[in-house]
Formats: sequence, C-alpha cells, structure tokens
Amino acid sequence: MKTVAKIGGKVALTALIAFVGTFTLYITNGENKLIYYVIRPLLNKHYDNQVRDRRIV
Amino acid sequence: MKDLKHLIYFENLLQDAQNELVTKAVEDGELALGYNCYYIPEVLLNLEGCFSSRLRAPNCTSTDIASYYMTNRTCPYARSILERAIEGGYNYLSCLFGAESCATMERMEEHFFLINPVKNEKFFVTQIDPPMKGDQTNLDYYKAQLMLKVVEPMRDRLGVDTSEAAMRKAIEEHNELCRVITEIGNFRKLDNPPITGYEFHVIQLVSQVCPHKLILPYLKETLEEIKTRKPEKKFPFRARVVLVGSEIDDPEFTKLIEMCGAMVVADRYCFGSLPGREEIEILDGETAFDAICRHYLHWNQCARFMDGMKIDQRHNEAKRLVDEYKADGIIYENMKFCEFWSYDKVLANHIFTNEHHIPCCTIEKEYALGAVGQLRTRFQAFIESLEIKSIQGGK
Amino acid sequence: MFDKVIASIDKKLERFDPIWQAEHGKGGQRSRYYDKTGVAKYREWRGVKDTMVDYAAWLKNLMSMAQMVASAPVACLKGFWEYRWMGSYLGTFMFIDRLFEGYRGYELKIAHLNMHAIVRSLTKKIALVLANDRRLGGGPLTDRMVPMDEVLPPLFMTGFKDLIPIPLQTLPEFIICDVDQHIEPYYIDVAESFGLPADVCSRCAAETGVAMDDAFPIIGKAMLSTNMPCNASEATSMFQRRRIGMPDFPVTLAMIHNEPGAHPYSTQMLKDAIAFIEKEYNVKYDWNELFKYAALMNEQNTIELEKWDYMKTPYNPLVGIAETLYRLYAWASVNGQDPYFNKTDRKVIKIIRKAYEEKYEPFAGKTRHRAFLWGPSAVYYTDFPTWIQNCWGINIVLNMDSTMGHNMINTEDPEEAIKDLAIFSEKATMRHHAVGGWDNVNAVWEWAKNFNCDMVLYNDNIACKGMLGVHAVMEEQARELGFHFIFIEHDLEDCRTVSRQDMRNCVNSYMSVVLGEEPLDPTIVEFDDSAAY
Repeated sequence: MKTVAKIGGKVALTALIAFVGTFTLYITNGENKLIYYVIRPLLNKHYDNQVRDRRIV
Repeated sequence: MKDLKHLIYFENLLQDAQNELVTKAVEDGELALGYNCYYIPEVLLNLEGCFSSRLRAPNCTSTDIASYYMTNRTCPYARSILERAIEGGYNYLSCLFGAESCATMERMEEHFFLINPVKNEKFFVTQIDPPMKGDQTNLDYYKAQLMLKVVEPMRDRLGVDTSEAAMRKAIEEHNELCRVITEIGNFRKLDNPPITGYEFHVIQLVSQVCPHKLILPYLKETLEEIKTRKPEKKFPFRARVVLVGSEIDDPEFTKLIEMCGAMVVADRYCFGSLPGREEIEILDGETAFDAICRHYLHWNQCARFMDGMKIDQRHNEAKRLVDEYKADGIIYENMKFCEFWSYDKVLANHIFTNEHHIPCCTIEKEYALGAVGQLRTRFQAFIESLEIKSIQGGK
Repeated sequence: MFDKVIASIDKKLERFDPIWQAEHGKGGQRSRYYDKTGVAKYREWRGVKDTMVDYAAWLKNLMSMAQMVASAPVACLKGFWEYRWMGSYLGTFMFIDRLFEGYRGYELKIAHLNMHAIVRSLTKKIALVLANDRRLGGGPLTDRMVPMDEVLPPLFMTGFKDLIPIPLQTLPEFIICDVDQHIEPYYIDVAESFGLPADVCSRCAAETGVAMDDAFPIIGKAMLSTNMPCNASEATSMFQRRRIGMPDFPVTLAMIHNEPGAHPYSTQMLKDAIAFIEKEYNVKYDWNELFKYAALMNEQNTIELEKWDYMKTPYNPLVGIAETLYRLYAWASVNGQDPYFNKTDRKVIKIIRKAYEEKYEPFAGKTRHRAFLWGPSAVYYTDFPTWIQNCWGINIVLNMDSTMGHNMINTEDPEEAIKDLAIFSEKATMRHHAVGGWDNVNAVWEWAKNFNCDMVLYNDNIACKGMLGVHAVMEEQARELGFHFIFIEHDLEDCRTVSRQDMRNCVNSYMSVVLGEEPLDPTIVEFDDSAAY
C-alpha cells in the first residue's frame, strides 16, 4: 500500500513537474521565442550559404 | 522594291474591324461570325452564307471602359477587344464563337453577353472548352465541343447548311486561300525575298479579317505580282528572324523589327500564317468535320498545351522554321499579363539558347504599340549581336 | 465549488485577457506582441478553462511533432538541412496561435480538434516523404509513391492499393506558405531571376521557383500533373516535368465544367490517368479499394453538408479559419484517405449539434456581419478571418474553397463511381468557382443568400486573371442585390506586393468610411506584422 502510494506520489510529482515545466514554456511562449530569435536565424544563415543547383532543366 | 499594287488598300482594310469588304458582305446578306482564337476553326465559319471575322481592335489607344470591367491587370488584347465592342465596333457580328483559351479571353467573351455591347438582334455568344493535349481523348472532346458550340448553333440558330457536302466545299475554298498565302509566304525563304515581313503580315491579316470570297481575288493578283517582283539588289536587312508569340495583329510591330534591321521571315504567332494557312486534308473514310478537328488540333501550337508531345512540337516547330527560312534568331514575344506565354517564353528561351543553340530575344509587349523606344533598343541590340555572331562565323 | 474557484481566478486574471482589455480600453490582442515580429511576449490568457484547452492542444501538437522526428530522425534532420521550406515548419506553433486568437468555448475546442487532425496528418506526411526522398538517401517506399499535382484530388488514386499518392507541391509550397509569409517570396525571386514576369500568379511562380531551385523531394516513378486550377498552374507544370524528369501525365479535366458535356471528357481523362499509372507502376486498379475510401469521403461530405445547415444559423461554433483551413486540407490533401479525419468530423458535428441546442453564439455574440469569402484567399495571411472577426466583428461563415466537390461517390458500380469522381474532381480547390464560366463565379450571391450573409468579401488576387476579369460586373451585382461588398486586394503568396496591413486597410476603410462602424479591438486596426512568420 505504502509502495503504491509512493509510486503514485512520484508519478503525481513527475506529472506536476512536467505540467509546471511545459505550462511555463507554453504561457511564456518560450519555444516560439527560441525558434524566432535563435533557431531560424541560424538556419537561414545556413540556407543562404547553400549552393543550390539552380537552373532550368 | 516597287510598291505592291494593293498594299495601301490592304493597309486601309486593317484600319477598322468593319472594313469596306466586311460591310459589303453583310449588306449582301452574309452572316459575320466573330472569333478570337485559332481553336475556333476559321474554315467552319466560312460555310456558305457566312464569313469569319477574326477580331482585332485597330488603333485602340485607350481601354478605359474595358479596364473598369476587367481591371488594368489583364491582357491588353482582351481589354482592347472589349473596348472596341463597347464602342460599337462589332455591331456587324451575328455571333461570337469564343474559346476558353485562357481565363482572360473567357472573361472578355463573357462580357459580350453580360453587358450586351454588340447591338445586333441576332447576336449570341458560345464558348468552347478547348483541349489541352493532343491525344485521342482530347480530340474527341474537341469534336464534341465544336459540334455543340459552333456547328449546331450555326445550323439551328443561323440556318447555315452544315452538311458534309457544305463542309467539303468550305474546305476546298479555304485550301485555295491557304495555297495563295502559303505561296506568297514561301518567297520569304529566298536569300533575297521579293517581299518584306511587314508586307506579308498585312497580307496575312487581311486574309483573316475580310470575307474570303471578296479578298481572294486581290490576294491572287498580289501573288502574281510578287512572282515577277524584283527584289532589292542586295538583301536589305542585317539579319533574318522568326517571330514567335501570342496575339500580334498590328503589322506596325513587324515593321518596327524590320526598321531595326531584321527581316521577319516567319510568323509563328496568333494571327500568323504558321500555323494558320496549312491546307486541310481529308483522309480516306474521314468526314470533313473530323478532318477539320484533327487538322486544327494537330497544328495548334498554343502555349496552353500541357502534354510533352505538344510542348515539344511548339519548340521544334519554331526550330524547323529557323532552319527552313534560314533565320539567324528568334524573337519570342508575349503579351503583357499573358500567363501562358510568360511561362513559355522563359522555357523557350532556355531551349532555343541552350539546347538548339539559336539566339533568342524575349520581349513583353502591350497590345497597342505606344512607347516603342525600349523595344527598339532591345531589337537593335539583338540584331547587332546576330550580326556580330555572323561576322564571327557563328561563334 | 470547482466552478466557483475557476470563476474567481478568471475574475482576478481578467486584466490579462485581450478581449477584456479591448472592451475596457486597456489594450487588446496586439498589446502582448513585440513590434513587427508576430512573437507574443506571453500566450493569450483566455480564462482558466479555455487556456487549458489551448495548452492541451499545444501539448498534443508538440507530441505529434516529436513523433514525426522520432519516426525518421535522420531523414528529418537531413530535411531541415537540405530544404529551406523545412525550416519554415518551425513556425507552426506561432501559426496556430495567431489563427485562433480570440477563440473561446466551443469554437476553440472545434478549432483545435480540426487543427490537430491537420498537424497529425501533415507531420506523418513529412516524415514519410523525407524518409523516402531519393535526394536524402531514399527509402523502401520511394518507388511506391506517386507524386501528383496538389490540386488534383487524390481520391481516385486510392484504387491503387500498394501506391501512395503524394501531392508534390504540398510540403514545399501549398501548406508552408500558410505558415510563413516569407518563405515563398524566396522561390518567387528564383523564378523571376530566370525571366518570369512578376505579374503572373505568385503561387505558380513559387512552384516554378521550387522546381528551378531543385527543392522538390524526389519520389516515385511517374507523376500526374493537372490543368487545375488555372492558366499559370498549367504553365508551371512545364518546368516541373522537366526538372523532375519522370514520365508524366497531365490530367486535364474540363475547364468549363458546369455543363453536362464536360463530364464524359473528365471521366475519360481519369480513366486515361489510371491506365497511365497501371502501365508505369505495373499495378492493377482495385475498385473495391476505391469504394472503401470513397465511403470515407462520402461520410466526410455528408457531415460537411450537415455542418452547412448549422452555418446558416447564428449558433454555429465552426467558424472562420478553423472551418476554412480544415476543409481545405481535409478535402484537397486527405480526400478520404485518412479515417482520423472522419473521427474528427464525428466529434466536431456532435459539438456543433450541442452548441445549436444551447443556442450558443460564438465570439460571445459579438458578430456584427456574416460574410461569405469569395475567390482564392491570400495564403500569407491565413489568420485574416480571425483578424476580421476580432477587429470588426465580421464572421466569415463559409469560404469559396469549402464548397469544393461535395457530391457523393457511388461505392458499388465502377462505371458510376468514375463518373461521380469526375464531377467531384472538376470542383477542386480554387477552381470550383474561380474559373470555368460566369455561372460559377456568379454563384456567390446564391451561396451568400443561403447562408444568411449580409456581406461578401471578394478576394482580389491582383494576378488572378479569372477573378480580375469580372471585377466590375461583380461590384455592380453586389450593389443591385444589396450586399456589403469589399474587395480585399492581395498577391496570394507574395506579401511584399500587398502587405497584410494593406489587406487590413481594405476592410478598415470600408468599415469606417462606408459603414461608419467602430472596431471591437482598436489595437489591431493598424499594426506592423511585416516581420512575423
């Protein structure tokens, strides 16, 4: 019973931490800020430096 | 060269859609049947008792009212035709056989029944859905569309004889006109032709906008005249070009190119003779109507065709003309806002330049030739490059 | 008790709710954004319940994306590295956020149910295509895929049991242009650098640019192109067939398709296309397989027709972009191939029925005008319907493209089935009403009347020749019939020609000058979102 409660508690705690973590990310719009200000500029730099086989075939 | 006897007369005939020959034919009781596009077989519109009138809007300098209806972001040819209709320039027409050749053409033709600009109580409009491939399925559809939207309305609404015999007769007469035009056009293959591209353009245009029966005697006489006409001592142009593109119904455009120094030796555009003046052959076991449909689908080189066979045919045909007419290069034209020719121009330029190694100059133009300074500069530069190439032995 | 707690929290946090802010003159939807970017400082507070609905949906979509990467990690990474358009998919969350701004209650629930179906399907498709893209190393299904034009409805292809039809332009162009307004101008520039004039339809210019930039995934053994929806689309296929370099078959359905004479031709065309695929892929068409998927499509269309009945009333929570985008994707891309969409439809119709019984009015009953949206929409401003509701209270009840093929397909007789499929396919995206004859475009008034609209918004794509050609006649008709009529000028996929704000100005001018109305949210009348995705 104790073990079940312990496991239940751990699951609940993990769920709570996961909820707090993801909800914080969600409400602060964290992932979008990361994508807009960090990831996309890096990717765009890469795309701009690509040598593409640009032609009419 | 000595002036052609009828050239000024022909030029005058091109100043109005309803020229004196059209007026005479209508007064004689003939029905004038309008059309805009090669997809509508000219020969069908020349069955006994009627005549074809390919719509032009000569001297159209402003399209204010048409632009109100269709905005100023659509094909200027289509807008000019609508403008001319609103001005009352096509009141002689008994009907318009339209084709959904492109969205703008379709919309323009729709205005002929939406706002009723043609003041003629008989007048009506039909529009075919033209095929986009050259296969059997599309040929069958083409036949069905022409039967439904052209032949049956001619028979049922205008009382025209559309029998097999009548069609065979129309083909014979059509072929006669084609032979004359083709023979005149063939002189352009000579090293020093006794005819200019401009003159031929005028001749070809009158054959499309005048009643065939009335214009044919003049054309025959002109042919005889050209046979004995002495060309200039030395070929007066610096280069020879094939003109490819969409609606070019203003001979002044050809004149512009020729004044820049290149003779237009072949006319592969809408309103041109290549295609347009090939004779129709009726195969064994074939009806005249089937022969007409097959012929027009085969020769049609519209930029709207989608299948590889027809796309290749379009470019190969231009290449053939370059070889046959000994041209130094190609001028590839598209009308402003024309999506089909805008795209094909890009592809064709690539194919001619990189695959066929034919110099190609692509241009975009308005319908009415207004400010031609930029075009003149482009043509001069292109012709100069052809000349340099020729001096350098084709390198 | 629980409700009381929630109500008390809602009361305490209401000042963060942009709708409350706008009502009380303390801000609005735009207040929480960094200028120009489209990046919000924090997500929209919609009250506890609706924020949790939105959060749960976000989480679910996040899981779908994680699944996509997990199912083909190497291919996905390679895809991100190879294709510029793949990078734009990272903007999906921001895209969803802006689509559903101001949504609450039933309309929010439905919007997310619909959107998740799209995200789920799309992420699977991306993983599938990238994992089998020859450019990235290929995969076991590469040769079983059939690249086909995005505007050709793929339902008829389900009769090939072992083949996977893939709308070729969907990933690099058709969908991603909705997500990121800056991606297609890159491809448009590529096409124009080869001499393509700037006055052609920007969608087709972008497709051409993708071909020239060698940015299409390489899949399949033969392809199907089409003449749909319009001229430029037909013309662009010339470049694609050369670049892709496979045997191709243009499925040219009747353009003037509202006449009986058109259908036998289109039927034969589909038969020819089937024969072409049978030959190229050495497979046999299985009608029973088609019937299975046709039944799914029929169910979707049956539910759609029921939805339309509710849309005619003020008590319909399936609104604006939630309706448009879903119908567009579910019809054009899914087309009966994915039972998950049927599941979603069943759930959604249940909510709609319930909302109707409760006489629930979406957007807290703030709708002032009911509008029918006509003509191809600007894809770089997918949240335009959301904006127009939030700003002016104009509810777009139905969009032209939602009226695509809704005839039922026979599921017993192959001959009848193919005839039904021809009619169904002729009425495809951007085509059913925009081209093919005056009657098609003129149908708007009947639709608008049937859906009890007082307003028609006419998408004025500055390069759409089919719609431009009827400009004045449409305006004259609107005046005669008494509809409020607004031309929304746009350039379909090129936000540089007509910006989002330029589009908003078309509405702003009409609403303030002609109708003399005040905006619901003054912060979104005029703002700069030029740097937003």
